Amino acid sequence: MRESTVMFLHYITAILIAVTGLIHLLANNEPTIGPLIKENPVVYMGNMAIFLAALLYHAFNGVRVILIELVPDPCWTKWISWAVVIIGIATYVVGLQVLLVALGLV
Amino acid sequence: MSTEAKEYTLPPEVLEETVKASEELWKPIKKVKFRIYKYNPKKDYAPHWEEYELEVSKGMTILDALLEIKGEKDHTLGMRYSCRMGLCGSCAMMINGKQMLACQTRVIEAAGDGDVIELRPLENFPVTRDLATDFTSFFEKHKAVKPWIIRDEEELDNPTGPYKQTIEEYAKYYQFTDCIKCGACLSACPTAATDYEYLGPQALAQAYRYLVDSRDNGLDERIAVVDVAHGCWRCHFAGSCSDVCPRGVDPAQGIQLLKGLIIRRKFGFKPHKPTEALPAKIAKKKEQ
Repeated sequence: MRESTVMFLHYITAILIAVTGLIHLLANNEPTIGPLIKENPVVYMGNMAIFLAALLYHAFNGVRVILIELVPDPCWTKWISWAVVIIGIATYVVGLQVLLVALGLV
Repeated sequence: MSTEAKEYTLPPEVLEETVKASEELWKPIKKVKFRIYKYNPKKDYAPHWEEYELEVSKGMTILDALLEIKGEKDHTLGMRYSCRMGLCGSCAMMINGKQMLACQTRVIEAAGDGDVIELRPLENFPVTRDLATDFTSFFEKHKAVKPWIIRDEEELDNPTGPYKQTIEEYAKYYQFTDCIKCGACLSACPTAATDYEYLGPQALAQAYRYLVDSRDNGLDERIAVVDVAHGCWRCHFAGSCSDVCPRGVDPAQGIQLLKGLIIRRKFGFKPHKPTEALPAKIAKKKEQ
């Protein structure tokens, strides 16, 4: 994947975090719209799944950027990127599982 | 009509004033201590500092002072300089912790209220000797972005006429042509301090300069070089490069524009349609 695609997604996920994070906050704190979102498991779970994905992508890509700047060796750059992808996917799977259990969907 | 050249002389009072101003400019007014970084990687185990005291005048530049030190106090002092007028970029160094050209900085201005000036080689560059640094990697990065007009046509090898360019097209890249490759921007860049693979502000700004040149057609070739892990996306917009540029170029802006150009290209936008050589354009119009 081209670096511009990775970084473009980094900016997109930043917007997604703000939007889905706001929906999450409304669902849990707003008395009028909140219950409407929370009562619909598909909307709430969908929002949380996107929020988690965006958050993890943004965070892990940030870590990758810091690491490749600190260890600029081209060989290490490749390894760091792959390690971050694998850890990111694993964390997402665990996070989704926790969410599903917490919402009583599994 | 007489062809004899007429001799002009300044009026005596103007001449006297000029001589007086010149004397004033070069009259020693203050003693300044120069603290200079000394290191010869081939001989020395570690760098050390040497101090030299000089009587300085109002018009004296750091380069003048260094040449005086080299001529009269320490012949072993290593430094690089050439044009003495801020055009070649050879004498860039750290003057009191900031990247500056030695030939364009006056001693009095650099010293300010104090009387000590600290001179170090440019940061983020390997030291060749004392104040001279190795620019090999810097020029390699510059070369990597293909800083020349790329055209895949016969016209470049066998030109038939000039490429027409409007003022607006020229204005897009004009400021970046002022770069003198002094290395001050790369030296000030916080990313380059740890990431030695990073292309750096100078090379990236030059990549942008050629990408938006209406005569150029090397979009794909050049983007393949800058859109990589250690390319333009490693710029975090600290802006130090633009802050220290002795020519007033804004490489940080160039890099941000370059990022925008790459993203727009993803959606099918191109910066320009390469311009045609003027005679070809005229011939086409005639045909029409």
